[in-house]
Amino acid sequence: MTLLWGFLWGVAAVATIAGGAILGVWWERKVSARIQMRYGPQQIGPFGSLQMIADVPKLLFKEDIVPALADKAIFKYAPLFVFGPVAVSMVVIPFTAGWAPLNTSVGVLFFLAVPSIEVIAILLSAWASHNTLSTLGGLRATAQMISYEVPRSLAVLAIVLLAGSLRPLDVVAAWRWWWMPLTFVAFVIYFVASIAEMNRGPFDIPEAESELVAGYFADYSGMRWASFMMAEYGAMIAASLFGAALFFGGGWPFGGALGVITLIVKAILIMTAIMWVKWTFPRLRQDQLMSFCWKALTPLALVQLVVVGVVLVWL
Amino acid sequence: MTLEILAFALAALLMLGGAAVVALTKDLMRLVVGLGAFLLGVAGMFLYYGHAFLATAQVFVYVGGVLVLVVFAVMVVHRANGGRPLVTSQHDIGAAAVAFGVSGMLVMSLRESVGGWLPESGTSGSSIAQELLGGHLVAFELLGVLLLVALVAVLLIVGPGERR
Repeated sequence: MTLLWGFLWGVAAVATIAGGAILGVWWERKVSARIQMRYGPQQIGPFGSLQMIADVPKLLFKEDIVPALADKAIFKYAPLFVFGPVAVSMVVIPFTAGWAPLNTSVGVLFFLAVPSIEVIAILLSAWASHNTLSTLGGLRATAQMISYEVPRSLAVLAIVLLAGSLRPLDVVAAWRWWWMPLTFVAFVIYFVASIAEMNRGPFDIPEAESELVAGYFADYSGMRWASFMMAEYGAMIAASLFGAALFFGGGWPFGGALGVITLIVKAILIMTAIMWVKWTFPRLRQDQLMSFCWKALTPLALVQLVVVGVVLVWL
Repeated sequence: MTLEILAFALAALLMLGGAAVVALTKDLMRLVVGLGAFLLGVAGMFLYYGHAFLATAQVFVYVGGVLVLVVFAVMVVHRANGGRPLVTSQHDIGAAAVAFGVSGMLVMSLRESVGGWLPESGTSGSSIAQELLGGHLVAFELLGVLLLVALVAVLLIVGPGERR
C-alpha cells in the first residue's frame, strides 16, 4: 500500500513538473514579450496558450541523436538523473498547514540535499557527450551549483533557526508575519542563489549560447533535451514553492484548500520575478559570478544568520 | 514487512553492485557512476535503520560534494579530446590483498569498539548535535582544524604553479 502511494506521488510529481513546465514556458514567453514590448504567442488558442500543445509532440517525435564518440550508456541515461532529483525534491514541500506529501523530520535538509545528485548527472552528461564545449559547460555548471549551495543553505538556515525545526510543516506552523521583514535579506539571497542553482539567466554561463552553443546539453536532442528543459522549469517550480512556504508562511493567512491556492499564487509571483530577472539583466562573467557568491552573498548570509541569532536571544 | 525487505535488498544491491563496478571497471567515468551508486546505497542503508538525518547528510556531503570533486578532478586533468580515461593497474593481486587486509582490519576494530561507544538511538539531528557538540566537542573541532590544515597545505603545494 505504501509502495502504491509512493508510486502515485512519483507520478503526481512528474505530472506536476511536466504540466508546470508547459504552462511555465507559455508564461515565460508572455512575460519576456511584455518586457521586450512584443505580444508573444497569440495565434494558437486564446492568448497563444495552445502553442505548447503543438510543441510537445514536436519534442517527442524529434530524432534522438547520439554522437558517435559519446559514452552511449551514460549519455542516454544521465538526463534521467538530471530530472529525477528535482521531481523527488518536490515531495517535502508543505502545501498547506499540516499537510505535505512526505512529512519528514529532515525535510528542509532533504530539499537542499537531493538536487545535489543533479550536479553529478549534469557533469556526467557533459562528459559523455565527448565534446569540448559540453565539458566546459559542465565544469562551469558544477562550479556554480556547488558554490551557490553555500549561501542558499545559509539563507534557509536563518528560517530553520527561527522555527527551531528542520520539518517543513513545523516551520510553516511556527511562522509569524514579522519573520518577513526580519529574513528579507535571507529571502533575497535564497532567490539569487536559487536562480544560480538552476543555471538560469543572468547566471546561465554554463549554457551561454553565444559561446558554448548550449553548454552541457549541446549534443542532446528530442526528449532527452526536453528532460534538461523540464529539470530547469521543475527546479524553478520547486524553488518557488519552497521559498513561498518557508519565507512567506506557506498558505498564510489561509488554511486548507484555500491555503494551497495561496501558496501557488505566491509561488507564481516568485516565478514571475525569476523570469523578470532573466529578461532584464545581462549575463555575468565567470569571475564576477564566483566573487559575487563568495565575497557578497556568503558573508551577507552569515550576517543575516547572526542577526536572527541575536533576535532569538532577545526574544 | 516485505516492503522493508525490498528496500533493504535495493540498498544492499546498490552498495554491492556499485562496489563491484568500482573494483572491476577500467573506465574512470563508469567507476564514478559505480561509486555514486554505492554512496546512495549507503544512504539507503542509513534510512533503513531509521537515521534519516544521516542519510540526507550522506547524499549532501558525499554524492553532492566529494563525488562531484572526483569527477571535477578527472575532467580538469584529462582533456576532453583525448579519448576515455582508463584506470590502469599492474598489481591486481597485490591491490586485492591490500584491500581485503584493510577491510578485515576495519571490520575487526569496528566490531570491538562500536558496541559501547555509539550513541543510543541517534536517529534525530538534535541527538547527533548533542553528541558532537557536547561530549565530543574537542575531537570534532580538532577534525575541523585538521581539514583546514590539509586545505592550506594543498594550496601551498599547488600555489606556485598557478601564480600569474
